[in-house]
Amino acid sequence: MKRHILGLTAAALASSVALNSLSAAEIRVGATMRMISENGQKYGEMVQDEFDAINAAGGINGHTIKLSLLNDECKSDKGVANANKFIHQEKVHLLIGSTCSSVSLPIVDVTAQAEVPQIIPHSTNHQITQKGSAWVFRVPISARYYKGVVAKYVGDKVGKKIAYLYASDAAAVSDAEGLQSQMKELYGVDPVYSAQVQEKEIDFRSHLLKIKALSPDAIFIAALQEPMARALVQSYEVGLPASVKRLANSVASNAPVPAMAGDAIKGVFYTAAYSDSDDRPIAKLFNSMVKQRYGISKVDHDFSQAYDLVRIVEIALRNADLKLDDDNLKADRTAIRDAIAGVKDYQGLASGPISFCADPTPECRDGNRTVVLIGYKKGGEDFELGILDRVTMPVEFGLEK
Amino acid sequence: MNALVQKSTASLDALKRIHPLMPWFASFVLLLPLPLLALNDYQIYLLNVICIMIILATGLNIVKGFCGQVTVGHVALYAIGAYTSGVLSVKFGVPFWFCLPAAIAVTMLAGALVGIPSFRLEGAYLALATLGFAQSVEIYIRVTNYLGSASGLGGIAPPSIGNFVFYDYFRYYYLVMPFMLIAVYASFAILRSATGRAFMAVREDALSAAATGVNVRRYKLIAFMLSAVYAGLAGSLFAHMVPGYVHPNNFTVIEMVTLLLMVVLGGIGNIWGGIIGAILVTIIADLTRDFYFYQLLMFGLVIVGTVLFMPKGIGGIIDRYFVSKRFVAAREKTAEQKRAEAAAAKSGES
Repeated sequence: MKRHILGLTAAALASSVALNSLSAAEIRVGATMRMISENGQKYGEMVQDEFDAINAAGGINGHTIKLSLLNDECKSDKGVANANKFIHQEKVHLLIGSTCSSVSLPIVDVTAQAEVPQIIPHSTNHQITQKGSAWVFRVPISARYYKGVVAKYVGDKVGKKIAYLYASDAAAVSDAEGLQSQMKELYGVDPVYSAQVQEKEIDFRSHLLKIKALSPDAIFIAALQEPMARALVQSYEVGLPASVKRLANSVASNAPVPAMAGDAIKGVFYTAAYSDSDDRPIAKLFNSMVKQRYGISKVDHDFSQAYDLVRIVEIALRNADLKLDDDNLKADRTAIRDAIAGVKDYQGLASGPISFCADPTPECRDGNRTVVLIGYKKGGEDFELGILDRVTMPVEFGLEK
Repeated sequence: MNALVQKSTASLDALKRIHPLMPWFASFVLLLPLPLLALNDYQIYLLNVICIMIILATGLNIVKGFCGQVTVGHVALYAIGAYTSGVLSVKFGVPFWFCLPAAIAVTMLAGALVGIPSFRLEGAYLALATLGFAQSVEIYIRVTNYLGSASGLGGIAPPSIGNFVFYDYFRYYYLVMPFMLIAVYASFAILRSATGRAFMAVREDALSAAATGVNVRRYKLIAFMLSAVYAGLAGSLFAHMVPGYVHPNNFTVIEMVTLLLMVVLGGIGNIWGGIIGAILVTIIADLTRDFYFYQLLMFGLVIVGTVLFMPKGIGGIIDRYFVSKRFVAAREKTAEQKRAEAAAAKSGES
């Protein structure tokens, strides 16, 4: 009996030691994302599934990746709490997050202080990489590039007489004012008309009639989904000709907008990092995978960015010389940071190559510079999109000199 | 357990006999090494959050628990405190030690503004008015570029004393914990003062209170303003804690529901209950992070369950325990006295 007990104790100790060494050999990754919407949850699921697939295929240099995923609900305090939990309690080697810029912004300070590499899946706010943190990398396109692309495309291919109609929500104000300032900077032109309306305004006809009288080359509409759809429909009702190009902010990419606007959305274009009308083989494969796995009919750029992020992390982890024990946590974090900084010309779903470098500057850390201009070919429930252009911006674009 | 409670009560009484502030000093000494017992920085971060939540819940208890005013606008006052401090620090470079009193003063004025509708409104109507105020504040912040609008306000400097900067959670604890203790002590002092008694009179029956000479309007306004002082203090401490960033999403109706849960679960009108509620809700919210889909549902069910089955909250249970203890002790003492008297009478007869 005594021997049995001794044997069992030894076995338990051995298995505990084995388990400890196994857990020590894991690459710990923490992800904080906005997972309060159906799509939001699926972005998180995709990140989890892709890491699981890497583990199933043998892991990274024999080590498995342990992903911890938490929801920050797009709230900065919850994002900061998640980041602190990952960094100080779970001792992660790498932090992924967040979806919302307002959450990523404070986390940048937390990861910089704790010296933990952070890679951003979806946030576009230009300030994220302008804080000078040596620990942050961004997969999506920075807002500074988006603004420039629209202005450049409009100025070169549409015209310079632009009317602006925008709602009072933060995104609409920022997009409209950003485009106006870029048009001024690039072409020296002021808006032919500019009006701000209430967030849930429903009648835009008085503004549209004034705009019609000014014969602009294009009208830029930035608003929430329903007002945007109404404004587009009303622009035709007041007789604004189809030759006046309709532009919109990225809200136009939301499926309810073409459904509500119907044919009035035809010709409207917006910018994104990826379009599901992309005809590259990799994009077609990706679209069918997302449709099959997550039941999404129209694949947006947040899916492609989450996917690209996992691939970049995979490359970096394979290249990093990791010890994966508690004594070397700091060295491992530094090695992962340096390995991400070493990723060059990654070709994935993004429309252009993604490259990072070592300097803690936006030029090095805003790795994705290629914006896709997407236009509606058809409105309604079964809307169709087409890629108008791909524009790669100069690395220093939008930075203060 | 009983012996432990008795010993603790006896020690507390002994400390009070030395000086009324001695138990608070003892609490301060007891709380000092807490961060050293924490396993990691995340737990120290949680301790800081708990301290801020205790200040906030204690403040809400003054207006809601002591004075009986149904407000759901407390989170807006918290936001005003945070943003006042944040703006002064970021836009004008004002040090924390000036930002804090300014935030408290501005929030107190805002508290007076919220309190004015309580002169004429009660119950659900007052709740709706304060909810409207909370929503207006949140929307105003969201659309005001000067306040950082939807991008939030970042770069709020951590407090410092000379070259000593409270830049990490460990150091910050030694700033936030004393403030929390002072705030809790002040709430007890208010409760035991003439003002506290007037609050309770207004809570129980405003008409009767007025008939006995209590200026109901004045005391309602004072309750709202005192409560706002707590919100301003909590807001300022929240804004200056690393990473020094505030955003309108930190002050939504969901945050208000969480705050209400702390007070309801702890026991409305019970200071210790509010503290226990703040600690429990913060810890439970942290432990249930992995079940985020169900977290709000759980919180909602706990509020409903507490109101239905435990209307006085955890504080009520504790109170009942001590009351019954005192009752049993008093009964035993009386019985003992009677026995002693009987024995004395008997010995006298013989």
